Amino acid sequence: MTEMAAQEYWVAEEEEDTQKGKYLTFSIGKEIYGIEIKYVTEIIGVQPITEVPELPDYIRGIINLRGQIVPVMDVRLRFKKEFKEYNDRTCVIVIQFENIAMGLIVDSVEEVLSIPDADIVSLPEIKQNTNRYIKSVGKVDEEIKLLLDCSKLLTEEEMESLAEI
Amino acid sequence: MSGQNNEQMLEMYIFETEQNIEQLETLVLSSEKELGFAEDALHELFRLMHTIKGSSGMMSYQSLASVAHHLEDLFYYLREQQPQNVDYTILSDLVLEGIDLMKVELQKIKNGEEADSDTAPLIKSIEDYLQLLKQQNGAESETAVALAQPDSAGGFCARADAVTYKAVVHFAADCAMENVRAYALVHSLQAEANVLQLFPADLDDDDSAEIIRTKGLTVYLQSELEAEQIEEIFWQTPFLNKLELTVVDSLQSEEAAWDAAQLPKQQQNNHTAASNSVISVSVNKLDKLMDLVGEMVIAESMVIQNPDLNGLELENFEKAARQLHKITSELQDLVMSIRMVPLATTFHKMHRLVRDMSRQLQKDVQLQLIGEHTEVDKNIIEHIADPIMHLIRNAIDHGLETAEEREALGKPAAGTITLEAKNTGSDVLILIKDDGRGLNKDKILERAREHGLLTKMTAEMTEKEIFELIFLPGFSTKDNVTEFSGRGVGMDVVAKNLEMVGGAVSVSSVAGQGTVFTLKIPLTLAIMDSMNVKVGASCYTIPIISIKECLRLQQHTLLNDTEGYEMLMVRGECYPIFRLHQYFNVKNAVTDLEKGVLVMVEHDKKSFLLFVDELLGQQEVVVKALPAYIKERYQSKGISGCTLLGDGSISLILDVGGFVQ
Amino acid sequence: MAKVLVVDDAAFMRMAIKNMLENHGFEIVGEAENGAVAVQKYAECRPDLVTMDITMPEMNGLDALKAIMKINPEAVVVMVSAMGQEAMVREAIMSGAKSFIIKPFKEDHVIETLKKVLP
Repeated sequence: MTEMAAQEYWVAEEEEDTQKGKYLTFSIGKEIYGIEIKYVTEIIGVQPITEVPELPDYIRGIINLRGQIVPVMDVRLRFKKEFKEYNDRTCVIVIQFENIAMGLIVDSVEEVLSIPDADIVSLPEIKQNTNRYIKSVGKVDEEIKLLLDCSKLLTEEEMESLAEI
Repeated sequence: MSGQNNEQMLEMYIFETEQNIEQLETLVLSSEKELGFAEDALHELFRLMHTIKGSSGMMSYQSLASVAHHLEDLFYYLREQQPQNVDYTILSDLVLEGIDLMKVELQKIKNGEEADSDTAPLIKSIEDYLQLLKQQNGAESETAVALAQPDSAGGFCARADAVTYKAVVHFAADCAMENVRAYALVHSLQAEANVLQLFPADLDDDDSAEIIRTKGLTVYLQSELEAEQIEEIFWQTPFLNKLELTVVDSLQSEEAAWDAAQLPKQQQNNHTAASNSVISVSVNKLDKLMDLVGEMVIAESMVIQNPDLNGLELENFEKAARQLHKITSELQDLVMSIRMVPLATTFHKMHRLVRDMSRQLQKDVQLQLIGEHTEVDKNIIEHIADPIMHLIRNAIDHGLETAEEREALGKPAAGTITLEAKNTGSDVLILIKDDGRGLNKDKILERAREHGLLTKMTAEMTEKEIFELIFLPGFSTKDNVTEFSGRGVGMDVVAKNLEMVGGAVSVSSVAGQGTVFTLKIPLTLAIMDSMNVKVGASCYTIPIISIKECLRLQQHTLLNDTEGYEMLMVRGECYPIFRLHQYFNVKNAVTDLEKGVLVMVEHDKKSFLLFVDELLGQQEVVVKALPAYIKERYQSKGISGCTLLGDGSISLILDVGGFVQ
Repeated sequence: MAKVLVVDDAAFMRMAIKNMLENHGFEIVGEAENGAVAVQKYAECRPDLVTMDITMPEMNGLDALKAIMKINPEAVVVMVSAMGQEAMVREAIMSGAKSFIIKPFKEDHVIETLKKVLP
């Protein structure tokens, strides 16, 4: 009886379904990237950043988000592209992935798109720097959106340092 | 039910079960000390087990539920039968084993793992022990206690106009406790009818549940009511599934009636409820609350010191602003006080340690607790339990002599460990005292020499300096736990743990009389008195506690050592200079030593100078942790956290100890 | 909307019952962590229904039930029991409890029981 009770008692969460297949797209240079909307908590303009020494260059520092201290990552630098001065198009996409909150600095934010699974092709493993963070490619009206792997974007640096050796 | 509710329930379950387990442990240990379980304690143990069983069952944590269930049975027996032949050591061991297992399971649940430990061996030993108890104390007393039971034979006379009915009822398949449901049904029928006979007859017998489940309950009753009205009464019973009601001619002379008016005497209850009720709040929420209050203090100063107000005479505004300020600072104090928790829980955990160790080492040890109600910030408490445990373990293992040695020395055979806490205003002191043999200076020196830890001539060292050698990393390693009879098993770990919360450890000892370790810990980590300094456009925060003085270069002599490091000669001593703008790579900072300020800071008796542009002023700041993502990647130790300034910008808090390295 | 007083010494259980009942349109007007508080709260807020745990500190559910029945003989009290507490449930029914639910609960069982006993 106990098991049944538990099953009936806990009703599965349905909220995730409404976010499924939706991506927030942003641009870096000419490329359009997409990130699953369920990770995005908000989008803000560039804030004053407090630098923290001895961190990888793509971690620009920390910002004060209404009392919460959030690290910010320049996605351009993360992708080993050239640094670009921030302007009024520059945005910080605040994401929450597992327990990590992170601000992603991008050239500009585009839109929210629904991309059905059928239009998404996963990428073969390519040993190229930027592609390591890309999980798959979505096609929307013949345009290509590079869909990011949040987990790799945030956590994968051990590999990078090994690769550099 | 929403996901948030689930999470809340899980949080509540873990919180409450942890508390219950802690309470259980305390009760068992104190009962063991008194060599027996008092009636109150038995009731309480039973209740706690019952609660854990119930909650765990609801959450489908079978391992926890079944361990709690079997221990509950055990305490039920002890409570009801009060057997005489009980070996309380075995009982305590068994219960503590159960407690440990439940702790393990709960930890797994907390980590998001499956709570899947094998409970079978423990349950088997609990069952065996219960069986043994029953044998030793006479099995016949096993039957459950009789409670107020309805009389089944009463003098009832059938009235002429009453009709006799026969009803056969079935309950829903999985409703459980069918006999009690039948009992409730019969009870409600009595109000309107005379219940003549039942099958099964004895609803108190729990075996009757099975009969009702398969064959249904048959009731003969007599009433003036119409069949429909009778049916209505039946259908009011929850989980009634099937009812066949027929009119029968009469029932033989067996008249069964219930003595319905037999309400047990009501106890006069003058008990007024304890109105000082307490609620539990998750620490996350408290942290959040404190963040918000910190934000509010900042927002307040942004409003009150708003540049738009400059030059205006605003009498009413000033008044209102003062009132606002008063409220916000009261609020801040209050939030701080909420975070303060007594050390009692941490202290009480040591009973178990002392018990287990004294058994293992065959040393009789008494633990004395003093000042356990002293309060410390919640975050700090988490960091000091391990050091205290470590020191107590050491005291028992190495500090206390064996009973024979003690008696030979004219000491009481039982050693005493005293754990004491006291508040000194800004700090809390925790003392761990033993009345053992004391530290052996010669052995400490010998060992320090072996490991190359001596930096001074031994003849020049004070007693205190010698004792403090034991806190040096490398003084002891794990493999000498048994051979080394003095102290010093991983003492550097203790020192390090305390440093993490801004505390310190010191030791004093008298040969033959014992040793005292003193832990000094700050009351709170959340608010700190500090000096803000400017470097370029950035602001950094230095804890006041680390600052010795602030200097200008002019009065002193600048030196460069052979490697090009800058040093300053102050009152005949040489101090290295550390340029903050270099470390933090700040542009547009003052680089000319003559134009900036040198802040002399001290850590661990080492002093050095931090070079900054200017001092911005002294302030109490609310300390915030760096985001975990940064902490994991920031390897050196120059920064301990950050704080928010009046304009909403972030200032990094310097960890002077980190610069030393 | 029926007003309910939830009595249980475990905050977890109170939360579980509360969540369950609120999903079905019951209004929780009070919670109590032992029998003594329950009796006091009963007198204060006069709920339509009380869910009463049996094993509690201070004053157990049976004594609280009896005290509540004294305040209001029409009171609707449902005992929250566990397997193994049959004898106590019987005593509770003798003392005026309208029905009982068994831990660990099933939501539909609880709701069916409570709906049946409400006048």
